Amino acid sequence: MRTLRGVAAAPGMASAPPALLEPASGSGAPLLRLDAAVEESCRQLDLLAARLRDRGLPDESEILEAQALMAADPELLEAAGRRIAAGMAADDAILAAGEEAAAVLEELSDELLAARAADVRDVAARIARAVRGEAPPQLSRRSILVARDLTPSTTAELDQSLLAGLALEGGSPTAHAAILARALGIPAVVGVAGLLAAASGAAELMVDGNAGLVMLEPGAEDRQRLAHWETEHEARLDAERALHHRLLATADGHRVMLGANIGSPHDASVALRAGAEGVGLFRTEFVFMGRRRAPDEQTQAAAYAQVLRDFGERPVVIRLMDIGGDKPLPFVVLEPEPNPFLGVRAIRLAEREPELLSTQLRAIVRAAAEAGVPRPLIMAPMVADLADVRRVRALLDEAVAAVGAAVTPQLGIMVEVPSAIVVADQLADEVAFFSVGTNDLTQYLLAADRTNAALAERQDPMHPAVLRSIASLVAAAAPRGVPVAVCGEMGGDPVGAVVLTGLGVSELSMGPASFGAVKRALASVTLAEAQELAKRCLDAPDPATSRAWVSERLAV
Amino acid sequence: MPEATIIVLNRSGLHARPAASFVRAAAGFGADVRLCNLTRDPGRTASAKSMLAVLGLGVGHGDEIRLEATGADADEAIDTLLALVAGGLGEGTAEVIGE
Repeated sequence: MRTLRGVAAAPGMASAPPALLEPASGSGAPLLRLDAAVEESCRQLDLLAARLRDRGLPDESEILEAQALMAADPELLEAAGRRIAAGMAADDAILAAGEEAAAVLEELSDELLAARAADVRDVAARIARAVRGEAPPQLSRRSILVARDLTPSTTAELDQSLLAGLALEGGSPTAHAAILARALGIPAVVGVAGLLAAASGAAELMVDGNAGLVMLEPGAEDRQRLAHWETEHEARLDAERALHHRLLATADGHRVMLGANIGSPHDASVALRAGAEGVGLFRTEFVFMGRRRAPDEQTQAAAYAQVLRDFGERPVVIRLMDIGGDKPLPFVVLEPEPNPFLGVRAIRLAEREPELLSTQLRAIVRAAAEAGVPRPLIMAPMVADLADVRRVRALLDEAVAAVGAAVTPQLGIMVEVPSAIVVADQLADEVAFFSVGTNDLTQYLLAADRTNAALAERQDPMHPAVLRSIASLVAAAAPRGVPVAVCGEMGGDPVGAVVLTGLGVSELSMGPASFGAVKRALASVTLAEAQELAKRCLDAPDPATSRAWVSERLAV
Repeated sequence: MPEATIIVLNRSGLHARPAASFVRAAAGFGADVRLCNLTRDPGRTASAKSMLAVLGLGVGHGDEIRLEATGADADEAIDTLLALVAGGLGEGTAEVIGE
C-alpha cells in the first residue's frame, strides 16, 4: 500500500483496477483519404458535442464544437495538402500541419490561447487515426483511468459507465479533463508526480478527489473511508434532488420568489434551466460595452426582447444602464472624477446625456411591445430621492408616448443610496417595487470603497447597520403594498438569505449557481425561526457574530 | 471596402468558444472577411473563416480588432460580425457593474 499526493480536481472517491489508454489498432476499418478522414473526424466531434449537450454540459460541448471547426479549418487542410503534394503520407502530413499550428498558438503570451495548442494536436491525431483506420481508444472494464494528460474529446468518448475515476500525472484543476470530470461527477486527481511508473504494476487504485490522493493497493482503512463517503454522498444527492424542482421556501412553506441575476441574453437560458422564477436583475451594460457609438433603439430593443421572450409570463426586471466614470465608454463624454462611485453615473447622466437614457427607455418599451409583455418592470439605479424618481418617470412617460405602444411600464428602484432608505416612505408612494443592491448599499452606508482591498472586511452586508436599513425599508414599504427584493450578493449567501427572509424580503435574486445552497438553507428553518434569527442579528455587535449565530442554526 | 473596429470585452478575449461563434458566423458569408488585432499586431491580418488563424491573432481582453470584408455581402458581414462581438459572442459581458 502506498499513497501518492496530487491536486484534487473533481470531488468524490472511487476504487478500481487501473487502466492505461492505448490506441486501438487493427480495427479492420479501411484506410481513408485525408478529406474523408476530416469529414469522419468532424462527424465524431459533432456527435460527442451533441452527447455532452444532451447531458446538460453546454460549455464542454462547445469545446468539442470548436475542435470540429479546427478539423475543418481551411488553413490546416491547405498546410497538410501541401505536404501530401510533396510526397508525404496523409497521416504524417496532418500531424505535421497540426504541430505547426499548435506551435503558433504556443508562442502567444496568452495562457488560455496557448492551451488551445493541445486541442489542435488532439484534432490532428484524431484525423490521422481516421486516415489509418484506427478506432478511438476505449476502456474494456470498470477502471480508474491513468494517463499523463487527457484531452476533452478522449474523456468525452470514454464509456462513462466504465470510468470510475481519473488520475493524471500532469494537468491542472483548470484543464478540460478536470472540468469534464467535475461535470460528469467522476472523481479526479491531477498533477500526481510519479503516477505512471507507480501504477504500472498495481492491481487496484483508489482516487480521493476530495483530498487529492491516489492510493495504490488500498488497505482496510482506505476502504472504510470510501464506504463512509459513499453513504454521505447518497444522502446529499437525495437532499438536492428533492429540492431541485421545488420552489424557494422555508420549512413551513413560506414562499420567497427566486430570481436570477443576468448580464446578457445568453445568461437567460442558463437561468431558466436552473429553475429561476424570473429575473430580479437584468443588467443592461452589455449592450453598451465594446462600441464606438451608442447602440441605437433597434439594437437595444432586439437584445431586451430576446430575454423577455425567453421568460414569457415570468417577471423580468430590466435595470437601466449603470454607467459611470469607473467604466468609461467612447460615446459618453465624462469629466474625470476623483470619486466615480459618488459621481455623475447611472440616471445622474440623464441631465448631461438625456438621449442615452431616453433611447434605452424607448428600446425597453418597444421590446416589451414586441415580446407581448404589457407591464414590463423597469428598475432605476442610483436613485437618491423623490426628485430622481420623478425625473425618470417623466422620461419614461415620454418614451411610452414616443413609441406609441399599449405598454404600461412598472417603475421600481434599486435601493443602494442610503438616502433612499431614509425617505423610503415618500418613495413607496410612487414606485412599484424596491430592490436592494446590498453590495453598493454596504459600501455607501459604511463609507468603505468596495474596490479597495484594504477595506474588504468592511463590506459584509451582515453588518447591523445594513440589516437595520433593510428592516426600515420593509417597514416603510409593507403598509403600502410595495414588495422589497434583494438582488445583491447577500441574497445568494445562505446565511444572508435566511436573515433577509426573516426581515420580510419577498424576493431573492442571485446568480443561478447559488440556487441550490440557498434553497437548502431556507428549507432548514421555519419562517418564525428566520424572523427570530433576523431580530437577533439586528442587535449583533458585528457581522462576524451574526454569521456565527445563523451558521450554527443552519448546521443543525 | 467596408471595415469596422471594435474592442473585444470578453473576459478571456477570443479564446476557443467565442472564436468558434465568430468563425462560424463569418463562414456563413460569401465575402472574404479578414481580421486584424490592432492592439498587438497591427501589420498582420488573418482569415476570419479559419479558427486557427483567428486564435493565432491572440486577441485578448480589451484588444481592439479591425474587420474588413470584400465581396457581394461584405456590408452585411461586417454589420453582423460587429453586432456579434459587441454582444459578447454568446458569453455575456466581461464586467459586472453595480449592485
